[in-house]
Amino acid sequence: MNQEDWLDRELREAAPYIDDDGFTVRVLQQLPAPRRSRDLLRAVILLGMTFLASVLAYVVSGGGRFVSVSLERLAALPALWVFVLALASGLVMAAAGATAAISRSRASLT
Amino acid sequence: MELTDADLVARVLVDDDQHAFGELVRRHQSSVRGLLRQLTRTDVALADDLAQQAFLRAYKNIRSFRGEARFSTWLYRIAYNCFREDARRRKELVGIDEEQLQTQHDPQAADPGLRHDLMRALNLLPLNERSAILLCCQNGLSHDEAASVLDIPLGTVKTNVLRGREKLKRMLADWGPN
Repeated sequence: MNQEDWLDRELREAAPYIDDDGFTVRVLQQLPAPRRSRDLLRAVILLGMTFLASVLAYVVSGGGRFVSVSLERLAALPALWVFVLALASGLVMAAAGATAAISRSRASLT
Repeated sequence: MELTDADLVARVLVDDDQHAFGELVRRHQSSVRGLLRQLTRTDVALADDLAQQAFLRAYKNIRSFRGEARFSTWLYRIAYNCFREDARRRKELVGIDEEQLQTQHDPQAADPGLRHDLMRALNLLPLNERSAILLCCQNGLSHDEAASVLDIPLGTVKTNVLRGREKLKRMLADWGPN
């Protein structure tokens, strides 16, 4: 056996297994809250804000009169304009969905 | 069937599964704490603090783990960075010089145990040589992996391992095979 082998073996044996002894639990206790609960909190905040904004808009707009006025105006538009508007809305929604899906799949690949 | 490190990392990434991360900590705590204990010259409390810091940092930055290296190598790198930042704060990065090495070596010292002498000899090595020896000879990393952990060129790692081994051999000459 040469000196290299002897030294390597001694070095490896000089690193015994260290018992966990509560180390993992201490680390886990210090981790930030799981994303799921953070996501839930974010959803609650967003829904709450949306609800409040809707109530505010309803009150400010005099009982939602602007909705019926807008619908009347929309109904008075030529059919081609309504079609273009619907198509544009559809494209925007599709692009947003595709972007979200791509970023989600990239995150799970890394 | 036991999940691989890559499977557990994927669970952390996709589901933010903290149990999976706990399993990773359980698997690697011994080697990371062991490495840090040697780097801090057996200051167990400091080493464990740094190990905790390293695992927390690993959790927060797990998205930067690309799976190109082994998870343990990536962890060693984080642990080594934690140690280096702490050492910089404490200004302990300076190793001892050759003269000090020779004067401190006494094979007939009070404790006759080889393990004790080896630990003492390791602690006498300058940090760059000690780190390279610990990673390559004790934890089984390749020179490439050690270069990535220590963030130094491959040639420097090889030189540090060689020099460190020579010094260890000299200090432990009385224990070696004749």
